Amino acid sequence: MNRLEEKYIQSLVHTGPKYYITVAVLGLIIAWALYAYIYQLIYGLGVTGMNTPTYWGFYIVNFVFFVGLSAGGVIVASLVQAFNIQKFRSVARIAELLAISCLILATIFITLDLGRPDRIWHLLAYGRLGSPLIWDVIVITTYLLVGLAYGYFGTRADLVKCMEAIPQKRRLYRFLALGYTDTSEKALRRDRKILRGLAIVALPLAVALHSVTAWIMGLLKARPGWHSALLGPLFVVSATVSGLALVSLAVVLGRKLMKLAIKDEVVKALGRLLFLVIPILGYFLFAELLTVTFAREPAALSIFQEMIYGHFAFIFWFNLVLGLLVPFVILAFPRARTDFGVGVASLLVVLGVLAERWNITIPSQLHADHFLPYPHGVYNLTWVEYSLVVGVYALGVLFFAICAKLFPLVEIEEEGASPEERIPSLAEVKKS
Amino acid sequence: MARWGMVIDLDKCTACQACTVACVAENNQPVAGPEGSQKGRNIFWNQVLAMVEGEYPHVKARFLPRPCMHCDEPPCVQVCPVGATFKRDDGLVAQDNDLCIGCRYCMVACPYGVRYFNWKQPGYPTTENLNPDVPLRPKGVVEKCTFCVHRVEAAKAKAQAEGRELRDGDVKTACQQTCTGGAIYFGDLDDPNSQVAKLAKEQRAFRLLEELGTKPRVIYLGEG
Repeated sequence: MNRLEEKYIQSLVHTGPKYYITVAVLGLIIAWALYAYIYQLIYGLGVTGMNTPTYWGFYIVNFVFFVGLSAGGVIVASLVQAFNIQKFRSVARIAELLAISCLILATIFITLDLGRPDRIWHLLAYGRLGSPLIWDVIVITTYLLVGLAYGYFGTRADLVKCMEAIPQKRRLYRFLALGYTDTSEKALRRDRKILRGLAIVALPLAVALHSVTAWIMGLLKARPGWHSALLGPLFVVSATVSGLALVSLAVVLGRKLMKLAIKDEVVKALGRLLFLVIPILGYFLFAELLTVTFAREPAALSIFQEMIYGHFAFIFWFNLVLGLLVPFVILAFPRARTDFGVGVASLLVVLGVLAERWNITIPSQLHADHFLPYPHGVYNLTWVEYSLVVGVYALGVLFFAICAKLFPLVEIEEEGASPEERIPSLAEVKKS
Repeated sequence: MARWGMVIDLDKCTACQACTVACVAENNQPVAGPEGSQKGRNIFWNQVLAMVEGEYPHVKARFLPRPCMHCDEPPCVQVCPVGATFKRDDGLVAQDNDLCIGCRYCMVACPYGVRYFNWKQPGYPTTENLNPDVPLRPKGVVEKCTFCVHRVEAAKAKAQAEGRELRDGDVKTACQQTCTGGAIYFGDLDDPNSQVAKLAKEQRAFRLLEELGTKPRVIYLGEG
């Protein structure tokens, strides 16, 4: 094993005390959440803050949020495969892992929200193809399978390398590689072909995923504030922005905490990309806001007033100022695209999109009197909701931490064969 | 096949809310209690809404009993992922308590807010007076006005036993039976001679949120 390879697998072999402490803390949080869930199962969803008319609460906000966060995987995969930007190859695996984790968390959140989780199999047994919820079940499952396949074919060769480099875990890596250990030039070329094919399939699939999730809400005529043709495209853009921000955040944290072999220029490039997509989201929000405030259609207008001046107005302003404007300004300066700058900006963007999801989901329900004279709704989160949401977040981090010990998070580059050298840039070709 | 519909004459309604109470008793609706009520967990299949129009001093209040509209184009049926809520051939929008997964998608989809969720194990002050004709619901499922489907079925069975067709007025819903002003009518909208069909043709007739295209089967009468 040469020195270059060593830095990739070092974290697989050596585990420090910090790691165990982190895992233990996460475990405690998850155990507490488990208690909260059992409590919710016994006493019913009444232990949450949900009620009439706030039928959907923080669980659904998080469901929508995590479906959106999963977008990072497909963005990076298509940058590498479709646009051939090889420098993003080093973050492709992290991005894909995040996408898979986020979709799993989204599925957990929708299960938490069910009044009868014991009947979740009804979705498969009695699923009605006319319901947007079933469209989402289908598209999430498909996307998850494609994501897993992408992760597998992108990691397989490295797993075989690990088999040789870490003989004591040989059987584990053989298992993770599903027994397919052929690393001949022909097999690797086929892997790359499959990856390319998967990336091409994943792109329209991702658009479908985020649109369908939006349509669960956007197709309902009973809900001013949701019922908008813009909601589908808005979700695609929000997903792109938040997904990219999550990848950037994970890369920055990974470099800091796990000493991942990702180059500075990748962080810079991620920051630049994020800088370019934030205004698109801003534009979409502005278009929606202007349409409603100019037309002054009472029902939709009342929802927006609820959003802007209502009980949860600070969430709206957080989204706009700290979630969009501030990160945009930070990233506007190329010199600020450091680990710290990109880290802070992407954290703000992720939280901003969470706020946006809240604003889409909750105010439309609180303002119950847009059609009939029902009293104004209230929604107060309870300890059960906080515990479960934080617990599921912890589960996500734990999943990521375990995966970080199972396989190298960054593609192993052979000495003298870094991707940049394999594909010489145009300038280099001209020089020679 | 009958197409069941309801007419509510708002000019006769006194807003006494007896329909709400009769409905609760007839259909075994669980009681939320003071605490649950404060948290917005009440279940009233037929609720009387106060519609206030205008601003002081030119205010006009109108009271409006609101059962399920049993729409011909029901948004709830359209979205249900498992078919737990469905449209029967006789126009009733029914709810299957054994299929419902409690996702509450139908509730956010209903513009009339007629659907209620069992946030906890249904509780009753006393179980002695429960109606044996109406099944109890478990916690975690959605329920709503059925147009007293058990009475519809009982009337059909009775007519069949007597070897005759169902007559107009054979089916009386609980709210209709108890209505102090005699404001509620129930019957077959497809039968041109039925009382509801005749009333539905009146000048005063209107339906709630017709502009949404849900084609509600509850018709209100009011001078406006």
